[in-house]
Parts: sequence; C-alpha cells; structure tokens
Amino acid sequence: MRNRATPWFFLTPFLLAFTAFFITPVGYALYLSLFIKKRSGFGPAKNVFGGLTNYVRAFQDSDFLHSLLNILLFLVIQVPLMLLVATTLALILDSVKNGFAQRFFRTAFYLPYTVPGVIAGLLWGYLYSKNLSPLNQITGLKTDFLSSGILLFSIGNIVTWTWTGYNMITLYAALQNVPPDIYEAARIDGASNWNVTRYVKLPLLRPALTLTGIFSVIGTMQIFSEPFVLRPLGYVPDNITPNTYLYLAVARDGNFGYGAALAIVMALFTFILSGFFLRNVRGEA
Amino acid sequence: MTATQGFQEAKISTAPTRQKPRREGFSLLQFALLLLFCVYSLLPLWWVITTMTKDNSQLYSTFGLWFSSPSHFVDNLRTLFTRDDGIFVRWLINSIIYAGASAVGSMLFAAMGGYAFSKFNFRGRDSLFNAILATIMVPSTALALPIFLLMQNIGLINTYWAVILPGLVNPFGLYLMRLFWDAGFPTELMDAARVDGASESKIFWQLGLPLVSGGLVTVALFSFVGAWNNFFLPLVVVNKDTLFPLTLGLSVWNQTSVSSGQDPIYTVIVLGALISILPLIIAFLSLGRYWQGGLASGAVKG
Repeated sequence: MRNRATPWFFLTPFLLAFTAFFITPVGYALYLSLFIKKRSGFGPAKNVFGGLTNYVRAFQDSDFLHSLLNILLFLVIQVPLMLLVATTLALILDSVKNGFAQRFFRTAFYLPYTVPGVIAGLLWGYLYSKNLSPLNQITGLKTDFLSSGILLFSIGNIVTWTWTGYNMITLYAALQNVPPDIYEAARIDGASNWNVTRYVKLPLLRPALTLTGIFSVIGTMQIFSEPFVLRPLGYVPDNITPNTYLYLAVARDGNFGYGAALAIVMALFTFILSGFFLRNVRGEA
Repeated sequence: MTATQGFQEAKISTAPTRQKPRREGFSLLQFALLLLFCVYSLLPLWWVITTMTKDNSQLYSTFGLWFSSPSHFVDNLRTLFTRDDGIFVRWLINSIIYAGASAVGSMLFAAMGGYAFSKFNFRGRDSLFNAILATIMVPSTALALPIFLLMQNIGLINTYWAVILPGLVNPFGLYLMRLFWDAGFPTELMDAARVDGASESKIFWQLGLPLVSGGLVTVALFSFVGAWNNFFLPLVVVNKDTLFPLTLGLSVWNQTSVSSGQDPIYTVIVLGALISILPLIIAFLSLGRYWQGGLASGAVKG
C-alpha cells in the first residue's frame, strides 16, 4: 500500500517556494492596499488604515484609467493582428515540403523571441531614432517614430516583432502533431485545400490558439520593459501602460499602499479579460 | 485576409490536374509572405551586426544597413569589456547565475511537483492544481512590489538571493511537467517497481526521471529564458550595479548615454546587446526540438 504522505513529500519543495514567493507577496499586497498615507501637521506621512480608499482612488485616477485604455487598444488591435499573422505563417509553413526551407523560416521567425524585451526596446529605440533610422535613411524622411501620435504603434511593433514568431511556432507545432491520416481522409472525401484548412486545420488549432491568446492577454497587461527603455529617447508618458505608471508612481512617492491596490486591480483586470477570452473562444465551438 | 486568398489561389491552380492532386497547394503569394516576414524578423538583427563595425559618429553618418570597418569592431569590443572596470563581464556572469539557478531550481521543483500531481490521487488534488495554474495570470508587478518590501524586511535586498529565490517558482513549468509525467511514465511501470520492492524515492529518481528527460530540458530552457530576460524584478530588488544582470546593466548604460549626452557609447551597447542574446540563440538552435515539443504539448492540452 502506498503511503498517503508520499505525494506531499514530492510537492513540498514547490509548495514552499510557491507559498514564500507567490502566496505571501499576494497576501501582503492585499494587506498593503488597505493602507493610505496620511499627513498630519508637519510630521512625516503615516500609514493608516483606509479600507477601500485606495481602490476608489484607482478607479477615479484618470491617468491610470488611461493606461488601461491603452492596453485595451493593444488587445483589440495588436493581439488579433499578431495572432492572425502567426496563424497564417504557421499554415503556410505547415504546407512547405522542403525540409531546409522549413527549418530556415522557422528559425528566422523565431530569432526575435530570443531577444529580451529590454534589448528589443533598446534596438528598436535606435531604429526609431529620427537621425539614424535606416527607414528614414532609405526614404529620406524624418519620421519621428516616438512622437505622441504613433508612439503606441511603435511599441506595438516591438511587441509584434518579438512575439509573432513565438506564437507561430506554438501553432505550427500543434499542426505538426496532427496525424497525417486525418488529412488523407479529408482528401479522399474530395476536400479542397481551402476546405482542409478551414474545416480541418483551423478547428485543430483551437486549443493552441486559446493558449497563445491567453498568454498574449497576460503578456499585454504586463508590458513594461519596451516603453521603459524608450523613455529617455522621446516623450513617453508615465502612464503609457499600467505597469510603467505603477512603477513610476511608487518610485516617485513611495506610496506602496496605492501601488499595491493598482497591482491588484491589474490582476483582477487580467482575470476578467482572460475569462472573457476563454469563454468566447470555447463558446464558439 | 491574405491567407485566404493564397489558399484559394492554390486551389484554382491545382484544379485542372485533378487526377494527380498536389498534397498541399503552395503559391507564389505564400512564398512572398514567408519572405516578407523573414525580412521583418531579421532586419533589426542585421542592423545590429553592421552597427558593431562603427564608431559612434558613423552611426549617424553611414548607411545603417551596411558595414563600416573591422577596426571599429575591435575598438567596440575593447570598450565593452573594459569600461567601468570591466563591469560588463560581471553582468554576464550575474545573468548566468540568475538564469542558471532558476533553470535548475524550477526544473527540480516542477519535476517533483508535477510527479505528485500526475501519479498520486490525494484529496484536493485537482483544485490545488487549478489554483496554482490560475496564478499564471497574476502580473509580475503585483508580486515584485511586495517581494521588494518582504526582501527588505529580511535583509535580502541587494543580494543575489533577491533575484534567485523568486525565480524558483514556475507554475507553467509545473503544468508542463505534469503533462510529461502523464505521457512518459506509465503507472503500470510504477506499480511493477513497487511490487519488486523499490522505494518511492528510487522510483522517482532512478526509474522515472530519465523517462521524462525531454520535459526536464524543456522546463529548464523556458525558466532559463524567462530569468535571462527578466528586467522588472532585478530593477526593483537590486540597485548595486555589481549585482545587475545584462538586461538591467545595458539599459542603465543606454540611459546615461542618452541623458549625459557626452561620450555616448551606443555602438558598444549594440555589441553588448548582441552578446547578451547569443547564449539564447545557441540554446535554441541546439535544443530546438525540446522547446517545440514543449510548446506543442502545452498547446494540445491547453
């Protein structure tokens, strides 16, 4: 008979680390978020219990709400576009029969993912620079890619450049895992290429699309490095994303309670959006 | 939608030769799309390689997508490794320590935890597993902020531990390892070993682990990349430059180059950026089948 304690023995290391660096911080953030800084007289500000004051303030903070709006814009434009391109490329690559060409394109598409977000931000920061951008050199224009009108698109481009290949590989791997006899059967039934794509491949891609979609939503909510490294180069507002706003607000006035409340609102936002996404993707079937 | 057009075109072109249909249509348009995206993916990296061969003034005066001179490359390399008493080497070593510790630690924890979830039935198993998986959605900021305060309380701020310890938890790695245990280690084999009198730890370490080695490499690789790329956590928990990882160090160099305006070292930073991504490129090229396998198994069940 196996010992009842055995699974817990194997779980202990993970659960210990998980409790220390996940549960405890989240619990601590919840606790912190209930305290506000209060100044009385000339003394230094004191932390006093404020109930849900910080949360009320978060929902009235137009700078913070604006950063959430930017993220919504990302979710509506950048994420679908990226997944559309990734799916298209995965489907095309899946039909490439030449082994060398397939490996070459796969590697080329994947390389940007190996570039850390900060480094990608640095590199594109140079490429966006008015005076040395190769694009400006070729076209002879003096486009400022970091001006307020197109800044969000410039950041979106960095994210797209980094992550499309990664998503493409996930989708492509899912296609490669499909047993070939499914296609064979579809062919025998006289299905055209387009029909095979539409009625066989795309439905088979659903779980992979769900996964890439969820990770894209989570990743988008957390965009930080790219705008953060672009800040010295041009006018990047503090509240370009919720994460930059939160970090800069806390770094500036050390109001951890408010920062914690913002972080928790962001976490809830992520949960709601992911749930919304999951329900819609699953529900369509 | 361009993909649609491509596939429809392919269909039409194969129509007259019904007798011997091509297995999959592949049109010029599709090839053009692949090529176009290939250029988009590689061009910034090509720019990095050409920029290494320039000094700072040539960055502005020469064409961005072509080389300048090998001697500047040597100069850049020398500056990169000697500036600020060769602190770049320190950053490189720090990144290796942070990412290496995260890879080994989270791999081991995920392997053990995934084993428990895959091979044992215990009370509350599924709800615990789902709860852990759901935490993937918690933004890293929500964690980094309280982690900073907690680390400060126990005096770990500005130590290696402040970056290493939080990197040991990888819920997605746990999820992947459970899938690998499900698929790679049959329960019958376990039961047979028990009948033969093998101890639980022997079954795990000697019998089980070798069978899921692919999963171990996958999780280690993902954790390594995650830690190597991490910027936010080190930004928050270390402010001594001798403890910076490459990501943080290079961004600080860039910031001072921009803000001070004098003696900017952009081309040196670009070279540093390339060196910072080389280990990941090598890892992915040599271990490619593992990450693709990992992504596939995650996606199929996801």
